[in-house]
Amino acid sequence: MPESPADTSSPADTRPAYPPPRHAMRMLAMESEQFENGDVRGWLPMSPIFTGPDGGPRIGVIGMLVDALGGMRSITAAAPEWAFTADMSLHLLPTGPIERLQADIRVLRRGRRTLVLEAELSADDNRPAGLALLTFAVVPRPDHLVNIVIDTSPGRRTMSRLEGDQEPPTDYHRELGFIEESAGIVMVELRPEVGNTVGALHGGVHTALVDEAAASLGRRILGPTAITTDIHLAFMELGFTGPMRAEATLLGQPDPDADRVGAVVQVLDGNDRVCSYATVEVSAR
Amino acid sequence: MTDRPEPSFGAANLRGVGMSHYLPMPIVEIGDGTAPLPTTRGQFSAPAHVLDSEGRLETGMLASLTDSIGGMTSGLACLPDWIVTTNLGLRRSPDALEGPRGTGDLTINTQVMRRGRSSVVTRSTVSDSAGHEIATSLITCAVLTPAGGPPPFTRPVTMNHYELNEDPLYRLPPEQFFSLEGGSRAGEVLLHPAVHLRNPWGILHGGSVAHLLDTAARCVVADRTEPGPTPGIIVSDLVIHFMNPGREGPIIADASIVGRHGRDILVRVTARDQGAEGRLMNAAAMTVRVL
Repeated sequence: MPESPADTSSPADTRPAYPPPRHAMRMLAMESEQFENGDVRGWLPMSPIFTGPDGGPRIGVIGMLVDALGGMRSITAAAPEWAFTADMSLHLLPTGPIERLQADIRVLRRGRRTLVLEAELSADDNRPAGLALLTFAVVPRPDHLVNIVIDTSPGRRTMSRLEGDQEPPTDYHRELGFIEESAGIVMVELRPEVGNTVGALHGGVHTALVDEAAASLGRRILGPTAITTDIHLAFMELGFTGPMRAEATLLGQPDPDADRVGAVVQVLDGNDRVCSYATVEVSAR
Repeated sequence: MTDRPEPSFGAANLRGVGMSHYLPMPIVEIGDGTAPLPTTRGQFSAPAHVLDSEGRLETGMLASLTDSIGGMTSGLACLPDWIVTTNLGLRRSPDALEGPRGTGDLTINTQVMRRGRSSVVTRSTVSDSAGHEIATSLITCAVLTPAGGPPPFTRPVTMNHYELNEDPLYRLPPEQFFSLEGGSRAGEVLLHPAVHLRNPWGILHGGSVAHLLDTAARCVVADRTEPGPTPGIIVSDLVIHFMNPGREGPIIADASIVGRHGRDILVRVTARDQGAEGRLMNAAAMTVRVL
């Protein structure tokens, strides 16, 4: 969803500014650059708060980067209409410890009702780090966004980040409020810090929740080095009622070398409504 | 649209039924046919000539089956409108990539997860004859009003009970049935959109595209130009975006390796309709495993 770095406040708007001070996006300190043709490049500076056992970035935070940049790209591609993320696939390659991850977003197709984007991921600027494909549903611009002006002019800019006087987080998932109830089941209360512009669970947080539930299941079966390596995720409903809960179940059985598992992950809202559905692979190599 | 043929749902015409004869899968709707979110079950009887040496269906053709049943089930949720597949994802279970698990006949249970105003999401679960879950597939379809109307159905649906067709066309190995031809380098594969590879509306069947893309991905990993079996190389998961229909041909698939992770190779594949000014039809990401 275009969880853009926009401040939704205006003199006539009494709602709190978005995103709030410790929002999930702010803690990633992402940067972006928009080009003349509308394409977007973005960077995620590495931090130990969201790296996996191999020292590389967790797939969930890359989902946040890709979703945010895809949202930026969609603003000009979908204009004058609006667009929100309908599905996302992410395939990662192992990077090990790096300084930053780069994503280059381009439009593959702008149809009447859908927008398909591709994101090439690279580590420290040139080493391939993976590939993402996203579909955005193109819709009439929602009423609360009709008057919003978002800067899409060419140039490089920082995205939302923590203010200088704020304590940096020590663990991204803990900061978001993820709670592992049992192996494969992770929940999060719906708070402004994990919400999107309309108060539902943010798409990037959604991806992180799927990642954590899958990795939790993987750790039980494969051991502590288990990480999620790829995700196919379909967003079905906005999650407005917390707590949100991700449930991962095995797809078949682990492979004969016991170093990977497939899983299905559902994210349900507080009314047990399925808000998203994903399949994932978790690897311990 | 005047440039499009009238839909053909099988009567004395290969268009729209060719794939069903090649990959035979009777489908029944579960229940009395009144559920707003339908569920269906397909029973795939695996002909030997479409299987690999272990008796396993290649991932692209498995995706063809889930596209067929997922698309039909999505369509039932939308009647009197119909659907077109926009996105297909499939993941095989890691324990069913080699050995006896996941070989032979298959059962595909499909349910509509969400029916929205403009799109439908469907999940299929694939099991082998021993009841082991060997793959799962997620399909998103766009709702549309098709020219000539939707296929005719009597609810609850029982379909694809075609008589076994003795035409030798349906006994050809996949690379011949799908009219594939090697390109100029490894990973480049052409498909000639013969009438039996088209759907009732005359456009290339999504399952044909899935097989083409799978073939290109395996070929680039195997470093071969000619399409055909690639023993020990299998696509373990795929995501295919359907962006434009294939009408003219030849369709050219182009696979390139993004990177490696142990025995897994991440491959990006596109398909373009050369006869339609190279229009981009599909973009896909696949993991190819070297066993």
